[in-house]
Amino acid sequence: MSAATRPSLGRIALNAAAGLSLLYILLPLIFVTWLAFFRQEIPSFPPEGYSLKWFTAAANNQPFINGFLLSLQVGVAATLLGLLVGVPASLALVRHRIVLGPLFNTLLLMPLVMPGIVLGTAIYVFQIETEIATGLPVMGSQGGLIAAHTLVVIPWVVRLVTASLVGFDRTIEEAAQNLGAGPFTTFRRVTLPSIRPGIVAAGLFGFVTSFGNLEMSLFLVGPGRTTLPIAILQYLEWKIDPTVAAASLIQIVLIAVAMIVTDRYVKLSRVV
Amino acid sequence: MSTTAPEPVAGARTGLAGLLVVPATLFVAIGLLGPIAILFRYSLNQFIPGQFMVDGLTIENYVKFFTDSYYLTVLARTVRVAVVCTIVCLVMGFPLAYVLARTQSRFKNLLIIAVVLPLFVGNAVRAAGWMTAFGSRGALNASLMGMGLIDQPLEIMYTENAVLIGIIAVNLPFMVLTLQSVIEGIPRNVEEAAFSLGAGPVAMFRRVLWPLALPGILAGTILTFILAMNAYATPVLLGGPKFQMMGPLVYGQFAQQNNWPFGGAISFILMTATILLTVAAHLIVQRRYR
Repeated sequence: MSAATRPSLGRIALNAAAGLSLLYILLPLIFVTWLAFFRQEIPSFPPEGYSLKWFTAAANNQPFINGFLLSLQVGVAATLLGLLVGVPASLALVRHRIVLGPLFNTLLLMPLVMPGIVLGTAIYVFQIETEIATGLPVMGSQGGLIAAHTLVVIPWVVRLVTASLVGFDRTIEEAAQNLGAGPFTTFRRVTLPSIRPGIVAAGLFGFVTSFGNLEMSLFLVGPGRTTLPIAILQYLEWKIDPTVAAASLIQIVLIAVAMIVTDRYVKLSRVV
Repeated sequence: MSTTAPEPVAGARTGLAGLLVVPATLFVAIGLLGPIAILFRYSLNQFIPGQFMVDGLTIENYVKFFTDSYYLTVLARTVRVAVVCTIVCLVMGFPLAYVLARTQSRFKNLLIIAVVLPLFVGNAVRAAGWMTAFGSRGALNASLMGMGLIDQPLEIMYTENAVLIGIIAVNLPFMVLTLQSVIEGIPRNVEEAAFSLGAGPVAMFRRVLWPLALPGILAGTILTFILAMNAYATPVLLGGPKFQMMGPLVYGQFAQQNNWPFGGAISFILMTATILLTVAAHLIVQRRYR
């Protein structure tokens, strides 16, 4: 809609509607942020005053700390594994005519649209059967959790790395090979640098997907071993107070910083 | 958020390269399709209280679901919530997606981050935000009572409305991002052509923008519908224990009742209902707008 030629009333209405939607999306985060600074424990408005003490309380809450550490370990491990298998697969899918290529592509993206609850129940019974068949302690183990999280990281890797490869000019690689570079040198010196933004974005999105995963993880965590989102959920089922809000705010800030840093390497508006 | 396969580059060498795709595909095939097959097998087993799960080949779990009005009510409620959420997301998401797609602002990236950030923060944290707002002494009731609009606090927590508001907020970013990427692919000059040929904004939207954006609208509604059907944290925290939807029902059967066969059956019914309704919507839209 070109603003110069159309009546500006429509433009204002459009911007107002867009602004309302954006506010609606952000509103829960605004309330959590506000609550984290309350002086009193009960979330009643207007607040009696403001305080920073809840951040200390959150940092001393053992379930939150343990949850954070487990989420961090699982997220990093699942992201690395996802990149390890996902990047070569993306390269092969974009660059080579593979028999059944589109089918592989669809399969690799499937965990993204698979409902978390169904995925969680299915992997849960799969782990039961694996444990019965092999005798290995799979259920509730960190390895089992990492494997399941790798499954939800792979689609992000495939999607973002293939997207960054599609616009890539193959003649640059041919030029490198004409100048005497072997396949490995060509990959390391030419291909890899040009898809690095895609890999960085895939790593970030894979990590945050894993870090924030709730529905699937619910079925896979063991006793006394919960991820941060589950620790927050269990706390909220009991009560809402500034401590859980402060823990949430720390998480929000960490994720926001990670996204703004990543945005410097790869424009988020192109990849999501 | 498209999921189409990229076009392979012509003239690429094949051969060993095909092997690169094997580890990831194998991992997903075993980790995704294997579990779903076992889950289906479990759903045909019997559950005898005290004996846990007994191997069998019976459809009694499915019969139990479809003959008990309690479970049918939960299914109907879940579908209703998902449909309402999807429609509201489309109506609210389109203007924001359009503005994001067409803006020349320096702050476009910041706006995108503002839409994406809540996605990654997790559903429990966002539910906490609404819990702060909706309580009897929460922000909403306090400000309404402060303005003298109401005497008694409104009962919002633990109602269907609270769950609707929560799920819409959770799913709106998915809709916005899907629509935005499609609208960005529509050249601006087709809109300007419509205007210069005398179309008003409404006619332009109905005759040009909507049909061209239809693939994205379809992708966005399908994604939000699937997510709403399978919501867990939002109904648990904002709906309370009495407000049952399919997601919490499945979890309860596994975690509290230890009834794996019935839980597996409900999980399968949930997946099938989601897929069937998605396909139905797809067909209706295709027939109407071809």
